[in-house]
Amino acid sequence: MTRSSYLVLAILFAAAPAFGQSPLADLTDADLANGKRLFEGQCARCHGMRGTGGEGANLARPILPHAADDSALFSVIRSGIPGSGMAGTRSMTDQEVWQVAGYVRSLSRIAVVSLPGEAGRGRVIYETKGGCQACHIVQGQGGSLGPELTAVGTRRGSDYLRQAVLDPGASLPDSLMLPPGYAEFLLVRVVTRDGREVRGMRVNEDAFTIQLRDQNDHFHSFHKPDLREMEKEFGKSLMPSYQGRLSTSEIEDLVAYLASLRGEP
Amino acid sequence: MRSVRLLAVIAMLLWPVGLDAQVPYQRIERAESEPANWLTYSGSYRSQRFSPLKQINADNVSGLRPTWVYQVREPGIVEATPLVVDGVMYLTEPPSTVTALDARTGRRLWSWSPSMPKDVLHIGGPAVNRGVAILDDTVFVGTLDAHLVALDSKSGAVRWDVVVADNRLAYWISSAPLAIDGKIVIGVSGAEAGIRGFLDAYSARTGERVWRFWTVPGPGQPGSETWGGDSWETGGGSTWLTGSYDPEFDLLYWGIGNPAPDWNADSRPGDNLYTCSLVALDASTGELRWHFQFTPHDVHDWDSNQIPVLLEAEVAGRQRKLVVMANRNAFYYLLDRQTGEFLLGTPYARQTWSDGLDQRGRPIVLPNTEPSVEGTLVYPSLQGAANWFSPSYSPLTGFFYVAVREMGAHYFKGQAEYEPGTRFTGGGEQALSGDSAYGAVRALNVGTGEMKWEFRLLSPPRAGMLSTAGGVVFGGTDEGNFFALDAGTGEPLWDFQTGGGIRSNPMSFSINGKQQVAIAAGQALFVFGLP
Repeated sequence: MTRSSYLVLAILFAAAPAFGQSPLADLTDADLANGKRLFEGQCARCHGMRGTGGEGANLARPILPHAADDSALFSVIRSGIPGSGMAGTRSMTDQEVWQVAGYVRSLSRIAVVSLPGEAGRGRVIYETKGGCQACHIVQGQGGSLGPELTAVGTRRGSDYLRQAVLDPGASLPDSLMLPPGYAEFLLVRVVTRDGREVRGMRVNEDAFTIQLRDQNDHFHSFHKPDLREMEKEFGKSLMPSYQGRLSTSEIEDLVAYLASLRGEP
Repeated sequence: MRSVRLLAVIAMLLWPVGLDAQVPYQRIERAESEPANWLTYSGSYRSQRFSPLKQINADNVSGLRPTWVYQVREPGIVEATPLVVDGVMYLTEPPSTVTALDARTGRRLWSWSPSMPKDVLHIGGPAVNRGVAILDDTVFVGTLDAHLVALDSKSGAVRWDVVVADNRLAYWISSAPLAIDGKIVIGVSGAEAGIRGFLDAYSARTGERVWRFWTVPGPGQPGSETWGGDSWETGGGSTWLTGSYDPEFDLLYWGIGNPAPDWNADSRPGDNLYTCSLVALDASTGELRWHFQFTPHDVHDWDSNQIPVLLEAEVAGRQRKLVVMANRNAFYYLLDRQTGEFLLGTPYARQTWSDGLDQRGRPIVLPNTEPSVEGTLVYPSLQGAANWFSPSYSPLTGFFYVAVREMGAHYFKGQAEYEPGTRFTGGGEQALSGDSAYGAVRALNVGTGEMKWEFRLLSPPRAGMLSTAGGVVFGGTDEGNFFALDAGTGEPLWDFQTGGGIRSNPMSFSINGKQQVAIAAGQALFVFGLP
């Protein structure tokens, strides 16, 4: 690269946020590949080789609490997060930091792909025959027992969405309250020492307590040493399977509708 | 006037002799005889993290209440074990601040913070500090930018400040120093940036360096044949956790960290001594008396920076003077602490990388357990079955209490090119975290390693253990539980949600005749006692 093109890049990167255009938009495939290489060498020890977290946060999700926009993501990578294990980097150039930022953003971005179903028909199924609104919120409307779906198409591919409709317990999303790797909506059945049985979804847990939310939308809190039994029902879900309840083409329409939910009104 | 001068001269002559010193070496040597205080990082030179206090016991521990809480002033992870000396607590706060507190109320008496460059390097770990050492009237701390600083114990004023190593080369300090007779021993971090590790001893009075032990031998030195090519120059071998000391043999026991680069060993064929080893050093000269390598040619970042615990127990029908370690590689080891002879090694957690140990304690490594480009699943994970957080040994139960991490990881191999002051690791892991992993407190029969009981934790812990003469074991969790178990049975007796992850070790002291238990959690230090 010539000196003048470096200059152009520098101006572009420096000026871009001021114009509301993130430098990430200009990254090439080669930039992202280099971002991946740098990520695996310098970030993966804590964030995992696939960015799904470990000692460090799960980065493969659309909203990063410390990096609401791309310039915030740049400063987190450059300067770290005070008071956390996240250290900044001194060794990368600004361009390399942008490459890593681009790669991090790519971890959670599901591309728009063409699907066999028809989203318009899927929406009707979602709102009527499927009864999905009873438990899911889209654009502020619906019940809150299940996951909020306003932008589910940006973070979930069609294969995952199809599986979620057919076998909801097979792959639960990551917990919002616990670190990466803990399932949200995990069904847990407990029996207290006095024989009371409660079944609900795990909201939070530690070594000594567990918080559940039952099907009737009540929270329960238990001290584990006071329980006679506690069973985590991996592979199950409060959500019913739509296998057999919807036709194959209806399922594809529903999947197409879910994939079309990208946060835009 | 003349007599006043004379008195002043006499006082000056007396001062260096230390007649008035508050914590002479002899007090630390006999720390177990004054359990109201906590005079060194692990409670005593033997590092048993056992408190002979018994006011808090299995019957009344359920009545524990917070006595006071101290909030640290800069956000950060608090891994420190405080010291307590005659009513004063010495705590480090992130990143390298030392604070003296009134141990009765938690009110500050003084505080000192180093002036450090904004871009101080701490590659391989968070900006933490695990505590201070005290000797005579001086408090000693290692700083993030790799200085060793001596502070007046009453005011926090600097007595001396020496550079241990160059932070631009990514040397940094996180561990508490160890004060022995006249000397301050301090280790360094930085293997994730390809430092050449060492352990140093400094004169407590002047800050002059007395000796240096290189953990990676140079050309011509014994052990250098275990390094291919020039790999020794960037071979790692950090000394980032406080060791133990046996005054009888005048031996220091210190765990040595991983070789560099961590997960790509192509450039460093051989056993890579003395990485992933325990070394026994002559405390007067720093000379190596013996070593034992737990994980030759490590490729998983299984540092041996765990606490070496000194104790006496019967092994195979014979009473032995032991050094015991629950190693990051998932094996529990007993060594003769005078000779280094391997006596026993047995897994205390799930491990899938070896087919056990041979007669000399060398692991029989299974094929296809090295990191690979596509990822290789191995137990334990990078953080190991145990890590820096302390185990505890109770001479009353004969149990060795260890906080265990049951977690596997896919290990990846990547490229590693050395550039001074940058990451030099060559790969990484993807841990099987969350619901796929769990933690436990395990009580091991000290002489056999056999598990006597286990108490399950939700997640792999990063908090150590304390056992007490009251028959109680204290521990903490990543989710913020501080808890007490029955030392004999593992039954839960008490738990308290601190509201912040616990990445520290419990300790105990007494103030005005009332036993207290302290633990750092989140951004605070909590002290508990009976009402």
